[in-house]
Amino acid sequence: MPDEPSSQFTHFFGKLEPKQKYGQTLALAPIALAVLSGCHGPQSALNPAGKGSAPIVDLTVWLTIGAAIVWFSVIGFAVYAIRLNPSAHNRRRARRLIIGGGAVVPTIVLTVMLSYGLSMMPEQLAPAPDGSQRIHVSGEQWWWRFEYELPSGEFVETANEIWLPLDEPVEFLLNSPDVIHSFWIPSLGRKLDMLPGTETRLALHPLKEGYYRGVCAEFCGESHSLMAFDVKVVPRRDFDAWLERQRSDAVIRSLEQEGARTFTRNGCGACHTVRGTFADGSIGPDLTHFGSRESIGAGLFKNRKDNLEGWLRKTDTLKPGVNMPHYAMLSNAEIGAIADYLLSLK
Amino acid sequence: MIYQGKGPSHESKQSLWLLTAAPMIWAGHFILCYVTTAIWIEKVAGRDASLLPMRLTIGGYTLLAFIGIGVVFGIGNRRRNLDTEKKSTDNDTPDCRHRFLGFATILLCCLSVVATLFTSLAAVFVQTTH
Amino acid sequence: MLNDANPSQELKEAQERRLLKAWQTPKGWRYWSEVNNTSVGLWYTIAAFGFFLFAGVLALLIRIQLAIPNNDFLSADTYNQVFTMHGSVMMFLFAVPIFEAISILLMPQMLGARDLPFPRLSSFGFWCYLIGGLFVCGSIFFDAAPKGGWFMYPPLTTDYQTGIGADIWLLGLSFIEIASLAAAVELIVGVLKCRPPGMRINLIPLYAWYILVVGAMILFAFPPLIAGDILLELERLLDWPFFDPERGGNPLLWQHLFWIFGHPEVYIVFLPSIALVAMIVPTFARTRMVGYSWIVLAAVGTGFLSFGLWVHHMFTTGLPGISLSFFSAASEAVAIPTGIQFFCFLATLIAGKVTRSVPILFVSAGLATFIIGGLTGVMVALVPFDFQAHDTYFIVGHLHYVLVGGTIFPIIAGIYYFYPMVTGKLLSDKLGYASFWFLIVGFNVTFFPMHISGLIGMPRRVFTYPAGAGFDILNLVSSIGAGILAIGFAIFLWDFLRPRKRQPYAPRNPWNAGTPEWLAHSPSKPWGVRSVPEVKARYPIWDQPNFVEDVDEGRFYLPDAKEERRETLISSIVDSVPQYCHRLSSPSFLPLTAALFTGGTFVFATFHYWWSAAICAGFSFATIVAWLWTGTATIPEKPDKRIKGEQRAPLYLSGSKSVGWWAMFITMLGDFTAFASLIFAYFFYWTASEEFISQAMSREMITLFIASCCCGLLAWLSTLLARKLNKWETSVLYFVAIAFSAICSLSGATLIVIALRNSGFDPTADVYPAIVWVISLWMGLHLALGGVMQLYCLARKAAKRMTGEYDIDIQNVSLYWHFAALTTAITILTLCGFPSLA
Repeated sequence: MPDEPSSQFTHFFGKLEPKQKYGQTLALAPIALAVLSGCHGPQSALNPAGKGSAPIVDLTVWLTIGAAIVWFSVIGFAVYAIRLNPSAHNRRRARRLIIGGGAVVPTIVLTVMLSYGLSMMPEQLAPAPDGSQRIHVSGEQWWWRFEYELPSGEFVETANEIWLPLDEPVEFLLNSPDVIHSFWIPSLGRKLDMLPGTETRLALHPLKEGYYRGVCAEFCGESHSLMAFDVKVVPRRDFDAWLERQRSDAVIRSLEQEGARTFTRNGCGACHTVRGTFADGSIGPDLTHFGSRESIGAGLFKNRKDNLEGWLRKTDTLKPGVNMPHYAMLSNAEIGAIADYLLSLK
Repeated sequence: MIYQGKGPSHESKQSLWLLTAAPMIWAGHFILCYVTTAIWIEKVAGRDASLLPMRLTIGGYTLLAFIGIGVVFGIGNRRRNLDTEKKSTDNDTPDCRHRFLGFATILLCCLSVVATLFTSLAAVFVQTTH
Repeated sequence: MLNDANPSQELKEAQERRLLKAWQTPKGWRYWSEVNNTSVGLWYTIAAFGFFLFAGVLALLIRIQLAIPNNDFLSADTYNQVFTMHGSVMMFLFAVPIFEAISILLMPQMLGARDLPFPRLSSFGFWCYLIGGLFVCGSIFFDAAPKGGWFMYPPLTTDYQTGIGADIWLLGLSFIEIASLAAAVELIVGVLKCRPPGMRINLIPLYAWYILVVGAMILFAFPPLIAGDILLELERLLDWPFFDPERGGNPLLWQHLFWIFGHPEVYIVFLPSIALVAMIVPTFARTRMVGYSWIVLAAVGTGFLSFGLWVHHMFTTGLPGISLSFFSAASEAVAIPTGIQFFCFLATLIAGKVTRSVPILFVSAGLATFIIGGLTGVMVALVPFDFQAHDTYFIVGHLHYVLVGGTIFPIIAGIYYFYPMVTGKLLSDKLGYASFWFLIVGFNVTFFPMHISGLIGMPRRVFTYPAGAGFDILNLVSSIGAGILAIGFAIFLWDFLRPRKRQPYAPRNPWNAGTPEWLAHSPSKPWGVRSVPEVKARYPIWDQPNFVEDVDEGRFYLPDAKEERRETLISSIVDSVPQYCHRLSSPSFLPLTAALFTGGTFVFATFHYWWSAAICAGFSFATIVAWLWTGTATIPEKPDKRIKGEQRAPLYLSGSKSVGWWAMFITMLGDFTAFASLIFAYFFYWTASEEFISQAMSREMITLFIASCCCGLLAWLSTLLARKLNKWETSVLYFVAIAFSAICSLSGATLIVIALRNSGFDPTADVYPAIVWVISLWMGLHLALGGVMQLYCLARKAAKRMTGEYDIDIQNVSLYWHFAALTTAITILTLCGFPSLA
């Protein structure tokens, strides 16, 4: 019940089906450990599902194999010198080892590596082509504001969850109104910082349908750890339908009128917007289609009634430092009504 | 008394600054590449342009740097080949010390050449200002 | 001559008595006034180790919190304080100071010197470090610790963390950075000028080569951070918007300044430990180091290249790809010299016949571990890989492999190796092997899984993580490993601290090493070496016949302390020809007092107790002047003395042969680097913004600036003139010149203040006036300080403490003024000239 901390909440990942692993063309032997060590979930950079991330996994594999070879040969030498054959060897030959093993071979290996790395740069940094879906992202302490830019120039705002069209480039325009955050969807591609006062641009190109998770990678204050978002990659048709739904105003069923009133009475609208109602605050996340989202609290809990009620009662304990006050002073009935109302906003 | 050598290996003709010459050239090349491209991109070309002029400039810088390092290498090599007794760098004579400084200078030249080459590789692979 | 070559037993005993008298450690409470390197070095080492244990306990708290998902052992806020303190204490209060500590403790012995040239400076540095360190560490017990991560990125640390924590970090650590600079000055001059006769530059112990390089790196790496600290503190304190984008500031500037310090810092921490390895390996391989020149190449090369890596901490900030690529290239290149060093060690082990021992075991563990860190290092140096790995636990794993493998394991090896030299007793082999296995297993179990947790998406600096994302098992394993690691350290600590009253003294030179520090007696004598040897080989104990006996019999230099004063030899830089006999300072409470007042200034300023801070600053200034007045450039009672047989050396030299001149030169290089960082900031703002130059300077302001510049240049020229006049003994003209120069510099400083006050430039309004204020105040401060120095020279001459022949003061002040004049000229050219160009 409400007084028991967090036990009433099912953490998001607890209920999550392990995702199917991406079949990499290269042998994943060196990082098999990673796969074995746990179902690496929707937040893994080793589970590539984007044009940007797949080549980096290849690079990782090659680098790991190379590193293992280097390490074992150097250690092999050392073991030979110290344990197996500790007698003195020819000094001149030893000096030749410095030139060969210490200078020449590493220089060649590093030149090859550097060229490989640099040759990936143009693709990694290429901007999205004109006409790509543009999404403006603002990282705020500690949640995500997303604004989809429509061809008409209109913006559709949502929070903490994005849908992306499958196999199409998407451009993210990143900024921050407060501190530095970093936008990272490990499975789709590289991370990029969100700097106050500057807009940074990131192009991603999802290749696999599915559910992924993005996080803030740059330490951004007290609840930095609790700043995630959900990503769904879907076929274009589903994407369009979803975006159209997000664009529309909230529909309030008669059943939830009481919850809507409680919501308004307690001043929630000062910070949150529910389009189509009087709630038009812009400090906190837009809640117009809250009920359609996977999670609450920026990827913190699965979006269910019991979790939502707990969240409203002890927001500040569950997310330390958060701007939103808790509403523990409300009665169970009032909390329940607000929760029902919000969950109905599909 | 400590023997200070004569001719080219006398102490008064030596200093440790020569060791730093080649890495300084690398550093100068590096800073020039970084600063000119930064100013070019931020002040002139913008973030959506070709980088060709900068890549050629970096090529020019690299050529200059190689010439500079080559000169230092020449000086180091002359010192290293100072021709007396056996060609050691390990003993307690001014000539050995002279050869040692020459040899260390040469090694630093080689490292600086590689590092400069690495810097210029950037201009080979990156073609735009993104 | 005959006397000295084969001194009679009687003479020998008399000599030893006098040496002992000069060098004996003060007793009772006066013990703390000791300035000799063996005492200060020991305190320094123990203090650094104390801070290491403190930060280690914080690390255990971190691992307990992260052992299971959604843990609430620590609150988010406490966790953030804990990890910030763990990083900051390990880097600033352990890693850098431990190198200074070990070097102060050991380097004089390695160089066959009696002490480093400025013992009171070492002591001052130590007390500053201790006071600052306790202040910073104490904050966590009051829930007031910094919590912005060890790199303190604004604007999180400006507008979003308004508590005292960030100020404690900025002021407390700046104070310690100043202590580091003091140590760097001491060590560089030590390597260059305090070598024994005949130890040519190709014969010096490899440790000294590394320390020379690291000292130089500190000189160019720390000042940018100090400049950054000044800017950040000014923003926090006075709201000057250096990092506030709304008023033209730029948070990325902090990242640049921090990492220009931060990356060389990694090598500043790593190279001295590798230097220990370079001393240990030949001893246990029973052969001279193979590839001495190659190691010198590697040390110098790494020193330079490490300054071209800083942006690799900023690969995800959205800089253009070409800029990232330059830094990626340098980051790959730096792996070459690092690899060369390893192969030199390997080649030496192959060329020699290796004897097994605890030190060599820890060396091997260190190298095996560090190679993994180095290999992941070349991975993250590739931009595309770093795009994914940056700011994740992969980096946490990588940096711990580098720092523990490259720093801590070699230091433990060094402690096992040098413990008998310092204390006269050996550490236990049995406990050594036991702690070794716990440490190596614990370490790998803790940190290897982090690479994987990072790649499967765990960001760093999280106080908790969700269950079921694949992080659970990996983190649990890491936490168990941390426990094993802690047991290893506990065993080591017990061995280090356990009472040894009954344990017999170790034999002298127990490892049969070849380098001069092993001349030390067991137990050691306070004078360091019995006589300063003439060194003709890299491993003189191995290669010079009769070496130890000759030293012990006092057949070399300075076997006596006739005047019962502490003395050491100062030699030329390249061939180490003795130039003069340097009188070292005696035990004194002045450094401790000065450190207390300086510390008080910083502590009171943190809490905004301005009056107390100002009073402390006044006392600190007075103490330092008293110290300089009584303890430096003292005119000797006779011009020269016998140093060996009939060979005589002067007791006083000025100019570029003297250690004081070099100390000033080196300090000013550091000072100038800080100034250059501020100029960098100016041009950084210009490139980053279209509207940087937001207002025009009035004609009056420009006039005043130029007038001030002229005053500065006049002060410089008349100081040089005064130096000349001082030589000629034309006293009156000297006084006129030096007084005129002081008036010029003080009026130059005043003009700057007037110009700023009347300018209409509001430093809180926009970043442009703010940076103009900072740079011109920096210049004004240098003019004022130069004025004080000129007045000091005036007083010295008047008090007959400086003469035409004994003129260190005016020589060093002239050197200061070369830099001050350059600073003045660049300031005015930039501030007044650049806006009309841009």
